[in-house]
Amino acid sequence: MGETLAAISSKDVRAQRQVDALLEQEGVRRDGNLDYTCGLFDDNWRLVATGSCFGSTIRCLAVSSDRQGEGLLNQIVTHLMAVQAERGNTHLFLYTKPKSAKFFGGLGFYEIARAENSLVFMENRRRGFSDYCAALEKTCREGTSAAIVMNANPFTLGHLHLVERAAAENAAVHLFVLSEEAGPIPFDVRKRLVEAGIAHLPNVVCHDSGPYIISAATFPSYFLKDEDTVIRTHAALDLEVFGKIAPRLNIARRYVGEEKASHVTALYNEIMAARLPELGVECRVIPRLEAEGKPVSASMVRQAIHDRQLEDIRSLVPESTWSYFNSRSAQPVIEAIRRETNVIHY
Amino acid sequence: MEILKPAIAGTLESSDAQVTVEPGEGGIELALTSSVMNQYGRQIKAAVLETLERLEVTSARVTVVDKGALDCTLKARVECAVFRSCGQSEKNIPWGGAVR
Repeated sequence: MGETLAAISSKDVRAQRQVDALLEQEGVRRDGNLDYTCGLFDDNWRLVATGSCFGSTIRCLAVSSDRQGEGLLNQIVTHLMAVQAERGNTHLFLYTKPKSAKFFGGLGFYEIARAENSLVFMENRRRGFSDYCAALEKTCREGTSAAIVMNANPFTLGHLHLVERAAAENAAVHLFVLSEEAGPIPFDVRKRLVEAGIAHLPNVVCHDSGPYIISAATFPSYFLKDEDTVIRTHAALDLEVFGKIAPRLNIARRYVGEEKASHVTALYNEIMAARLPELGVECRVIPRLEAEGKPVSASMVRQAIHDRQLEDIRSLVPESTWSYFNSRSAQPVIEAIRRETNVIHY
Repeated sequence: MEILKPAIAGTLESSDAQVTVEPGEGGIELALTSSVMNQYGRQIKAAVLETLERLEVTSARVTVVDKGALDCTLKARVECAVFRSCGQSEKNIPWGGAVR
C-alpha cells in the first residue's frame, strides 16, 4: 500500500482527465497555463492528489477529500519545489484559498496579499516582499508621486506622451518597466529604450517591475491567453499588491493609457478604475496620442516591423527608439519579431 | 565552505525537514518554520547553526521548514544542502567528517 508520485505529461489524455475531475471535485479552478503537472496515484492508479507549476509559481493543488489529512499535499509540494529547484527557481509563489493559507504557512510560505477574500498570494521568502518594498523606498521622492506601469514593447511616442503628462502634473513619477521576458524584444532593450526616451525628464525614476507587478507570478493571463474571469482575478490580485507598494513611494496617482485594442489591458484598466480609488490611489486614464488619425501603440510598431515596413515606425517612436531599430545590434530582435506569427497583444 | 549556488535538501513530510541554502551577503540569515516551534524552536535553531559552523559556512541565507525532524535528521539535511551548494556532491563526500 503506497502512493506513486508521477509526472503527468500534457499529452497523457487519461491522466489529464483525472486531474480535471479531481480539481473540479475539490472546487479548484484549473489554470489555462501550466508547464508541469504531477500527481499521486493509489494502488488502483486512481489520482488522489495533484499539483502543477507555471514559471516560478506552484498552482492547481488539490487532494481528494477522502484522502485528506495524510500529508499527501506535502509530498506534492516537496516534489514541485524540487522541480523548481532544478529550473533554478528558489523564490517561489503560490495562490490558494484563504482557508488553506495556514497550511501553506506550515510549509514555509508567507502571505503577500489577498484578493476579495477569495484568493491568497504567497511566497516562500519571509522577507521577499518587504525587502522589495524597502529597496523601492530608497528611491522615494518628496511630494505627491505618480506611478506608471508599462511593458514598453517597444517605447513609443505614446508612452512618452503618458510619461510627460504625469511628469508635468506630479512632483515625481515612478515608472515601472515590466521585467518579465515574454516577447521578442528582451527586457534589457525595452528598459534601455525607456531610459533613453525619458532622459530629459529629471523627476522620473525608472524601476524594474520585478516579480510583484504584472509578472508571470501575479498576472500570468497578461502574457498568455485565458478566460475573462481568470483575468479579473489576476488583475484584482495584482492591484492588491500594488496597493501595498504605493504608500511606500508616496504614490497618489496611477496613469494609464486609454485602451481600445488590447482586450486584457482594457479589462485591467476597467478593474483599475474601480479598485484603485478604494486603495487610496487616483486612477487617471489618458487618451492615446494619435498619429495620422490613429492611436499610437506598441502593437502597431511591432506589426510594422513584422511587415518589413520599418520606415512606418518613424512617426510613432522617439528618436532613441528609431535609431536603435536602425542599428546593427537590433537585427536579431527585428528577426525575432518577424518570426512571430502574431505580434498584437490580445 | 562557501555557498556557491542555491541548493535544497530534505522534504516537507512529517518527521523530516526541508533545508534551502543560498549565497548570503555576509553572516548567516536563518528563516525557520516549524510545526513544533514553541516546543523546540530554540533547539532546532541551535542544531542548524552548530552544523553550519562545523562546516565553516559563514555567509548564507538558510531556510528551514521543519516538520518535526529529529536532531540527526536536521543535521544531515543541513549538511547535504551545503555539500550540494558547493559542488561537493560530485566528489567523495566526507560524510560525518565535519558533522558528528
